[in-house]
Amino acid sequence: MPYPIHEIEVTHPLPTLTLSEGDTGVALIVRRQDQPIGFLMQPSTNCQIEPDTIAQWIAEKLSAKLLQEAIRDEWVAPMNARFPSLTVAICTKDRPDNVARCLNSLLQLQSPDAFEIVVIDNAPSDDRTQTLVADLPTVRYVQEPKPGLNFARNRALKEANTELLAFLDDDVVVDRQWLKGLMTAWAENPDAAACTGLVLPYELETDAQILFERRGGFGRGFEKIRYGQVLPSNPLYPCGAGIFGAGCNMTFRRDVLLKLGGFDDALDTGAPLPGGGDLDMFYRIIRSGNAFVYEPQYLVYHQHRQEYEKLRRQYWTWGLGFMAFVTKSYQSDRAQRSQFRRLVQWWFKDQGKQLLKSLMGRHSLPSEMILAELWGGIVGLLGEYGRSQQRIEQIRRQYS
Amino acid sequence: MNSFKPWQVLHLDLSEEVPELFVNSDYQGLYLVVFWANIPLGHLELEMAQLPMPASQLTNLILQTIAPAIGCHLLKTGFQGELPIVSSHPAPAVSPDLADVLALEKPLRLLRSQTETLPTDSSVSVIVCTRDRPDALKECLRSLQSLNPPPLEILVVDNAPRSDATYQIVSQMPNIRYVKEPRAGLSAARNRGIRESHGSILAFTDDDVVVHPQWAARLQQAFYEADVLAVTGLVLPTQLETESQVVFEKGFGGFGQGYRTKMFDSSFFQTMKPRGVPVWKIGAGANMAFRRSVFEQVGEFDERLGAGRSGCSEDSELWYRILAEGGCCRYEPKAAVFHTHRADQASLKQQMYQYMRGHVAALLIQFERYQHWGNLRRLGVALPRYYLRRTLSRILKRNQPPAEVLMAEIRGCFAGVKFYLQNRQRKLESLNYGVDISRDSIQSNSSEKLLPIRNKLNS
Repeated sequence: MPYPIHEIEVTHPLPTLTLSEGDTGVALIVRRQDQPIGFLMQPSTNCQIEPDTIAQWIAEKLSAKLLQEAIRDEWVAPMNARFPSLTVAICTKDRPDNVARCLNSLLQLQSPDAFEIVVIDNAPSDDRTQTLVADLPTVRYVQEPKPGLNFARNRALKEANTELLAFLDDDVVVDRQWLKGLMTAWAENPDAAACTGLVLPYELETDAQILFERRGGFGRGFEKIRYGQVLPSNPLYPCGAGIFGAGCNMTFRRDVLLKLGGFDDALDTGAPLPGGGDLDMFYRIIRSGNAFVYEPQYLVYHQHRQEYEKLRRQYWTWGLGFMAFVTKSYQSDRAQRSQFRRLVQWWFKDQGKQLLKSLMGRHSLPSEMILAELWGGIVGLLGEYGRSQQRIEQIRRQYS
Repeated sequence: MNSFKPWQVLHLDLSEEVPELFVNSDYQGLYLVVFWANIPLGHLELEMAQLPMPASQLTNLILQTIAPAIGCHLLKTGFQGELPIVSSHPAPAVSPDLADVLALEKPLRLLRSQTETLPTDSSVSVIVCTRDRPDALKECLRSLQSLNPPPLEILVVDNAPRSDATYQIVSQMPNIRYVKEPRAGLSAARNRGIRESHGSILAFTDDDVVVHPQWAARLQQAFYEADVLAVTGLVLPTQLETESQVVFEKGFGGFGQGYRTKMFDSSFFQTMKPRGVPVWKIGAGANMAFRRSVFEQVGEFDERLGAGRSGCSEDSELWYRILAEGGCCRYEPKAAVFHTHRADQASLKQQMYQYMRGHVAALLIQFERYQHWGNLRRLGVALPRYYLRRTLSRILKRNQPPAEVLMAEIRGCFAGVKFYLQNRQRKLESLNYGVDISRDSIQSNSSEKLLPIRNKLNS
C-alpha cells in the first residue's frame, strides 16, 4: 500500500529503485542542481525500477520545466537583494514529537544571523514541549494560554520584532532549500506582503495519505505565481482564497499583519472551528491592495492524516472553515457580496457534481469524504462564525 | 454602454533588459510578443489590472511562455506543436529523451547559432497581390525592402486596379517589379505572379502585412527537408486598437497557429480524411511559400476561390492538394509577419462572411476533385452542429462575439454552396493554367519524383 518517497537529482546518474513487498508505487521528488522542480507519483508493482524508466517518467512530465530552468540559468542574472529580518513561529499544542521533528529540520538552516525561532505553546496540558525547547538555546519558548490557533498566531505577532514573520504548523518538516526559496521570493518581489510555498507529502504510508495526495493534496505546483488584484482566468477571484496556498507554510510582512489587525481569533479556533484563519488573512491581504507571492522552492513536507477517519474530519473541517470565512467576508466586505454569493453557488454545484461522480465510481475520493466536506460547508454557512465569535468572547473574558 | 479599450501590442527581445510594467489606463491590457535572435517565442496577454508588475515577475512569466517553443526548435521530439487532429484513437504523446533535454545547457545561444547557420541558398521570389490599397501596400513594400538577406525579386501584382495609384507607388520604389493582372480575383493575381516570377521558392504575402526582416530567410530555411512542398509562418497582429481587431484576434484566434513548428504530412491527412482535413489550420495566405515545382505537380491556385471570387480558402485548397498527393506542409513560426486586422465592425462582419463562403466553396471543390467524403461530412454535419451550438450559447450567454457577426458567418456558409453550384462548370478552365509554367529557373528536387502528377481532371 505505501508509496516510498525518493529524491532524484537529475544532474547525477539516476538510481535503480527497489520497492518493498506491499509497495504499490513510488513517489519522486525531482531536483535539478538541488532545486526542487517536480513531484511525481507513479503506481508500480515491479520490485525494481530501472534508471531508464525513471528517465522516461521525468522526460514525460518535466522536460519543459527542465528546459525552463536551463534558460533561466543562461538568461537571468541571480538577484542579490538584502533579505529582511525573519522570525519563524511554530504554533503547537501537545505534540512535542512533531515540534521536535520540525525544529530539527529548521535548525539545520539556522546560522546565527539567519532568523529567530519561536515556539508558541498553545494552552498545553503538560510541560513536554517546554522541556523540549529548553534544551535548544536558539529557540524561544512562549506560552499562549488562550486555546485557539489564531490566538497563538497573534501571540507570535506580538512577540516578534522582525520585518518578516513566518508560520509553520508543527506537522511539517522544511526542505533544505526552504530558506533560500523564501529569500528568492523576497528578492524577486520586494513589495510583496505575503508568501506561501509548496507543500509536499512527508510520507505516503497509508491509504488515507495516498488518497489525499492523489487528489492534489496541498500542492500548488512548481511554477512561481504572483497574485495581484485580478486573475484573468478566475472570475471568482480573490474570493476563493484557497488558491493562495496553505496556512501550514506562510510568511508575512509583520507591519502588514499589524495594520490589518492580526488574525481573526474567531477563525482557526482549534476543535470547534479548525480552519478558515489562513484563508481570511490571505483574502484581506489581497483586498487591501497588496501583492501576494507563491514560491515553489519555499517548500515544506506535511504529514497528511494517516487514518481514514481523521482525513474525513479534515474534509469536514475544510468545508466548515471555508464557509465560516465566506460568512465573515460576506459581512465585512460589502463590495464583494455578489461575488461571494456566486462563489457559494459554484461551491455547492461543484460539490454536488463531485458527489455524483463519486457515487458513480468515477472519482478518486469516496463519497463519504465529499459528504463530509459538504456537510461542513452547510454547518459553516448556518451561523458557525457567529457562534465562534461568542465562544471566543467567553475565552477572552475567562483569561482577562 | 461600450466599455471597450484597446490592447497595446509590444515587442520584447530577450537581449534587452526586462522592464517593469506600469498601468496605462488608455488600454485594457498588454499583448507582449517575446523574441530572441529575431525568432518569436511566445506572447503574454496581461490585463492592466494585473499591473504594475516587477521585472522579476515578468521574467518568470516569460520563462514559462517561451520554454516550449525553444524546446521545439532545439529537440526533435517532445515539443512539437499539436496538430489539429480529432481522433478516437489519439497517438500517445512522444516525450523527448531526458539526456537530450539535460544536454541543453545554453539553449538560447544554441538556438541563435542553429538558426543562423541553417542554409539559405535557394532563391526566393516575393509576390504581393494588391488591389486599390496603395497606403497599406507602401508599408508592406518598405518592409520587404528591408528583408535581410534580400530576396531574388519582389513582385507586385496589381489586380484589376481602378486607378494607377498602385503603379505610381511601385514605380517610385527601387527593385520592385510591377505587373498588372486585369482579371479580378486574388487567385488569378497569384497565378500571374507565379508565371512572372523566377525564384525556386515563391513566397506570398498580402498588402495589409508588414514582414519581419528575417521573414524570407526563415521561410527558405524551412524547406530544407525535401518533402516539404509548402511552408506557412506566424501571423501576429500589428495592433489591437479597435474592438473588431480584438474580437478577431482574441475571439476567433486570429491567424496565429502558435510558436511551435508543425509538420502536416500524409499521416495527418489520412487520419483526418474521414472527418474532413482541417487544412485551413495549416496557416494563412498572408504568410506562405511554395516550391515552384508544386504548381506543376498539383496545379495553380483555383481561380474560383479567393478574395474577389468565393472569398477565401484558395490557399488551403492548394495545401489540400499537396497533402492529398503525398507532400508535406510545414508551419514554421520562425518566419513572422505582422497583419493589420480589419479595424471596423462592418469590415469584420464582411470578412467573416467571406471566410465562410470561401471555406464552404473550398470544401465542395475539394470533394469535386478527390471525392473525399470527409469534406461533405464537415459541410453537412460538423458545421451545422458548430453553428447550432454557437447560436444557442449566444442566446444563453451574452459574452459571445456580436450576433451580427455570427449571422454573417451562417449566411456565408449558404452563399458558399450557392457559389459553388454556379461555378461548377469552370473547373476545367481554371485547372489548365497549371500546365504552362515551365521556366528554366525551376530547380529539380527529389520531391518531383515523390509526387505522381495527378492529371485526372486535366485530361
